Amino acid sequence: MNLETLTAAANSNQWLAIMPELMLGCIALLLLVLEVVLPKSKHDLIPGVAILGQVGVLVGLILNYSTPYLDPSMRDTFNGLLAHTSQGQFMRVFFLLTSILVCALGSVALAKQRMPRIEFFHIVLVVSAAMMLLAQSNHFVMLFVALETVTVGFYILVSYVRTNPLSLEAGLKYLIMGALSSSLLLFGIVMLYGAAGNPLLPGHAETDAMNFDQIANFLAQNPDNFLAQLGVVLVLAGVAFKIGAVPFQIWVPDVYQGAPTPVTAFLAVGSKAAGFAVLITLVQVFAAYKGILVPLLSLMAAATIIFGNLAALTQHNVKRLIGLSGVSHAGYLLIGVIAILFVPNAAASIYFYLVTYLLASFAVFGVMTHVAGVNDADQELEHYTNLAKEDPFLGGVLAVGLGSLAGIPPLAGFIGKLLVFIPAFQAGLYWLLGIAIVGVVISIYYYFGWIKAAFFSAWPVPTIENESETRPARTPVTFGLGTVLGLLALASVLFGFYQQPVIAWLTAAL
Amino acid sequence: MSDTYFYIFAAITVASALAVVFKRNTVGASLAFLLSLCGVAGLFLQLDAQLLAVLLVLVYAGAVVALFLFIIMLLNMQGGDRPVFKKMTIVSSTIAGALLLTGVYLLAKRPELARLPEAGQPASVLLDLKIYGAKLFTTYLLPVQVVGFLLLIAMLGVIVLSKKFEGLEDVK
Repeated sequence: MNLETLTAAANSNQWLAIMPELMLGCIALLLLVLEVVLPKSKHDLIPGVAILGQVGVLVGLILNYSTPYLDPSMRDTFNGLLAHTSQGQFMRVFFLLTSILVCALGSVALAKQRMPRIEFFHIVLVVSAAMMLLAQSNHFVMLFVALETVTVGFYILVSYVRTNPLSLEAGLKYLIMGALSSSLLLFGIVMLYGAAGNPLLPGHAETDAMNFDQIANFLAQNPDNFLAQLGVVLVLAGVAFKIGAVPFQIWVPDVYQGAPTPVTAFLAVGSKAAGFAVLITLVQVFAAYKGILVPLLSLMAAATIIFGNLAALTQHNVKRLIGLSGVSHAGYLLIGVIAILFVPNAAASIYFYLVTYLLASFAVFGVMTHVAGVNDADQELEHYTNLAKEDPFLGGVLAVGLGSLAGIPPLAGFIGKLLVFIPAFQAGLYWLLGIAIVGVVISIYYYFGWIKAAFFSAWPVPTIENESETRPARTPVTFGLGTVLGLLALASVLFGFYQQPVIAWLTAAL
Repeated sequence: MSDTYFYIFAAITVASALAVVFKRNTVGASLAFLLSLCGVAGLFLQLDAQLLAVLLVLVYAGAVVALFLFIIMLLNMQGGDRPVFKKMTIVSSTIAGALLLTGVYLLAKRPELARLPEAGQPASVLLDLKIYGAKLFTTYLLPVQVVGFLLLIAMLGVIVLSKKFEGLEDVK
């Protein structure tokens, strides 16, 4: 180890390139310091600090959107661990937005629970920073460390409401499933490393057998390496756990139900988007193994759409319902991922879909957070009876959110689905599209069942004696939450009508 | 000769891993886990991964299993009655297990495995602890920092999930 190598390594560590992540980490630490320094009466300010700080980071990130690091000559920093791409830049903004919305919902939901609050915001901030690094990682070591930080954060967040047995059960299930998926992913990485690092094979990695560029180069020169095939399949299996695709969806309903509602929203939007960001990167790295990727992902997408929609049909708990419907959304997105292998620019449609999914999901989760009572896991469809009559605003936001998730024109969700299906059509994935359309039709049934519960009065269920009213009391929505929900619903409607400039920008930029 | 060692270590690993699952006494199970880790360390030694073998014994066998034992003894769990499996569970898990075994068997029988090229020495062997440490502080500096945050949130998580918060006024 001489001076030159040390200097080269130090010069490659461009900390300025990951300024947003660093600032999130600093805000997270600041929250802990504030908890110690501030008197107890001022602790209500801390969630505000978390949200305002993130809004500041978001504004800074958008102002510096086209950083010099996006230039191909400066793209690789941290010795090739990170690669700054326009896709990564877009996902950074996406994750920051998710994190701000989760913190906003968290400050509403945690006030109803007897639980500590500062730690929640701290963990959400660190997890978001890790997701942002994940979307930019270009090396399996960085990918795994960032992914584990996200996963460990979620273990805690899922079981956060310790007093609720369902939350603890969800945490335990997520822990076991998460550990299993991490081990599959690691085993796959080891196989790829072993194959790509073998100096006897043509095109082996010269310096770093875990760097994505070098692995892609190796795979292109060895199109039928058995060890690498195993590695590719196992890595995909590990990522499939994160996005909740069949056959790795088994944890979804229980974990979504038990987790506090803001965490469910974080899992549904943030964790899934992180999985897809990784998947889009990896599919491009593994492009040489199209022969196994396409049938594998197609089967997975078809099974995911069918299972998610059929299982959601019979749910009465809205958190389980939205979890299983999220499974089917992962299926639609998987079709888009397959299309990337055939059609250039197909990734842009996935990113647009993710944005519409974020807007619609947070609108629905915001209403859920507000309507939920003290027992967060107990949110039945019956609790939404007459919601639209008593609070037309909440009812309207719920209808827009669910309509967008179902893909009803002219809402944003419809355009998102259309954009994902067009490249799939160009790629000739006709039978998958057929299944997807059947899935969309089925999904309308359960989404509208929920809307019906909120808008049309049902026959009152005769109450049995000694059984008190289970429905949590309704309170008017606060100004802050109302503004956020209104903006989300408005954006869902606007993107349905004026999506053209956004799509043009996404296609050009990504 | 090295084949004999491989089979000995592999047998130790698999047999004690099975014992972890089947032993009813939790202390015995964690001791079997210790033995299994030692078997894996032996396998690592055969692969010229001395550092990994030493770390496995030091960290897992030395510290983690000791922690397991502490917790088992602190909690003093009495093994309650096990629920009897439903017929459906037994049938489906047998089918799943058979499928898994068939998969592994077919995989091991693949002709590609026999034709795998001999692995040469990698360009840079991380045998030396010094090289390994230098890598952590140069190439892999960022992941090390991220792991620092990982440990921080893990610690906070333990506090949130285990501390009694009744006495705090800031919890409404």
